[in-house]
Amino acid sequence: MNKIFSVVLVLAVLVVSSLSWVASASAEEAKMVGEVSKITLAADGKSATAILKDIKTGDSVPIEIKDELTLDKLKDKRIVEGDEIRCKFDKQDGKNTSKTFVKTAGC
Amino acid sequence: MKKRVLQLATVMLVGGMVFPVFSQASDDEIQKKIDKLSQEVEELKNSLKKVENKSLGKWLTIGGDYRFRYDYLKGETRPFTDASATFANAQNKMQQGYFNAVAAGDAAQTRFWAGNIAGMTAFSQQMTGVKTFSQAQSFLGANQQLLGGLGNFAVQVPAYEPENKSLYTNRFGLDLHAKATENVTVTARLVTYKVFGSQDDSAVTVDGNAPYFADRVGVFDGTLGHVPSDGSLEVDRAYGTLSNIFDQPLWFSVGRRPSTGGAPSNLKLNNERPGNGGTPSLLVDYAFDGMTIGYAPEIDALPGAYAKICYGRGFESGYRDTPGNSLSDTDMVGLAVIPIDTDPLRVWLQWNRGINIFDFPTMDDTYYGNTGAKTNLGDIDWYGAGAMSTIKKAGPGNLNLFADFALSDTHPNDNVSSQAGFQGLLTGGFFDPEAPSDKTGWAVSAGIRYDLPSKTKLGLEYNHGSEDWITFAPAADDMWTSKVGTRGNVYEGYIIQELDLKPVSSYFSKTFFRLGYQYYDFEYTGSNNWVGAPVALSDAVGQMMLMAPVKEAHNVYATFEVKF
Repeated sequence: MNKIFSVVLVLAVLVVSSLSWVASASAEEAKMVGEVSKITLAADGKSATAILKDIKTGDSVPIEIKDELTLDKLKDKRIVEGDEIRCKFDKQDGKNTSKTFVKTAGC
Repeated sequence: MKKRVLQLATVMLVGGMVFPVFSQASDDEIQKKIDKLSQEVEELKNSLKKVENKSLGKWLTIGGDYRFRYDYLKGETRPFTDASATFANAQNKMQQGYFNAVAAGDAAQTRFWAGNIAGMTAFSQQMTGVKTFSQAQSFLGANQQLLGGLGNFAVQVPAYEPENKSLYTNRFGLDLHAKATENVTVTARLVTYKVFGSQDDSAVTVDGNAPYFADRVGVFDGTLGHVPSDGSLEVDRAYGTLSNIFDQPLWFSVGRRPSTGGAPSNLKLNNERPGNGGTPSLLVDYAFDGMTIGYAPEIDALPGAYAKICYGRGFESGYRDTPGNSLSDTDMVGLAVIPIDTDPLRVWLQWNRGINIFDFPTMDDTYYGNTGAKTNLGDIDWYGAGAMSTIKKAGPGNLNLFADFALSDTHPNDNVSSQAGFQGLLTGGFFDPEAPSDKTGWAVSAGIRYDLPSKTKLGLEYNHGSEDWITFAPAADDMWTSKVGTRGNVYEGYIIQELDLKPVSSYFSKTFFRLGYQYYDFEYTGSNNWVGAPVALSDAVGQMMLMAPVKEAHNVYATFEVKF
């Protein structure tokens, strides 16, 4: 009986732990349109941080960019400070990681 | 001793009680100073922000380009009978014969020439009243004798080799982009384009001789600023754009559109990719007045995807259903789908339709005098698909590639153009009308450009158009004729050398030289002309035509260009 109880208890702990892990692994997706106020490229060129000023709220939101296509655009100055950007990003553990980072469509 | 110690202790005690009071007073002062300084810093920040917000750079971007271009042009024509010159010759000879007869007092000859003049005048007047294919057949049947007589005045032009050893042009463009309000921008481009030593377009439009190509007869609405002319400052683009409609990646844009210099012609022109704007250059290169509704869905599997519906007005007819005007407006509608737009791959799919295509655009002082639309000839459908790619670090440099394919499908109505000798939409010859029938043409275009780290860019391009291929690209940056409208083959090679100079006015500022060569190998007449049926160049042996048939053409060009 004690053995069964111990096994059940361990299983319960495992289930609860895995649920917690899932809960902490799923990031919240957010979207915004903002003006680039600052771009900082990492020294190794494999990431960058862009500060977007939300056109609705005026809040400054730091976005971390890791995808190569967007990094190329930042390096080539095809996206620069002052550009209006439509951004989709994941919010997780206090970080905003870009999923899409494109100039506002038009024309 | 005890007393002294007690005194010292008392002093220390009193001092200890009083000192904090003095300290408190100093702390308060320091805090007040800190508060005051903080307030001043905050005020300075606000002032700076106000100044920044009002500064032009926050909302207005000014840029542009300057270009000097040298061209060497040489061609070879086939023999033909100049239709316009024949009519002019007939009129001149008849008038001369009449005046000579009057001067000689020869009554019989006077009556003879007077009769001819009257007959010719009536013929010309009745000719302008011919509207349809069946009317044209009846008219020609009823005037066989006069037509035969007209042959006596035929101006036959043997094959010749036109050459311009040095054509110099100057072009300046000014770009303005204003963020007017939230989500609203206004964009404009002013341009002036002039031939050295000339105040008109005659150097390009073959002054005094039958022109070679329909898109270089003169300058008209959609080619202003793209064909060198009198140096006037033209509005090439002026449009307003409303973005983020309903907080969606949805936009509406209206005005004089950025419908010239589209992909992939940006490679040869050394321009940046056109982004959401522009149209595929194989199908459309014309400064349209029109509007666009576009949508860029955020599809993870299709980065950069967008689609847009475009509309343009090619010809404004004015008041209709009046005694003097039954013309319809000429409109263009189109749908563009770009399923992916990234550096490694950009794909485009396009359909556009020209509705109520006019026979002649409005042009002044051409070889044919002042021209204008006199009839609507039908509709044309265009279909296009293309792709371009930039492969970074393909060897020491970056490789750019493109391939484009298009179809044109004409749908003529029963109308013929009386001012073009009864030719219809890709049907008939001068005074040789053809029953209307749909015709399908096609074209392919491909090219590469290799960009070396030394800022040297090497390019090769090829395009081919079939017998019945027709495009809508008269504003293309080519001197002879828009190369993408060629019914035959065009080969082009170019070298661009950018100077290694630090940009100052903008991130994209650059200065470069470009040296290039185009070889046109025409297989059929009428490149870039939807009036009349094409004739194989090998069969062009002296027929009556409005334009001189060009068999082949060479263009060596060199430019000095600055983009700022």
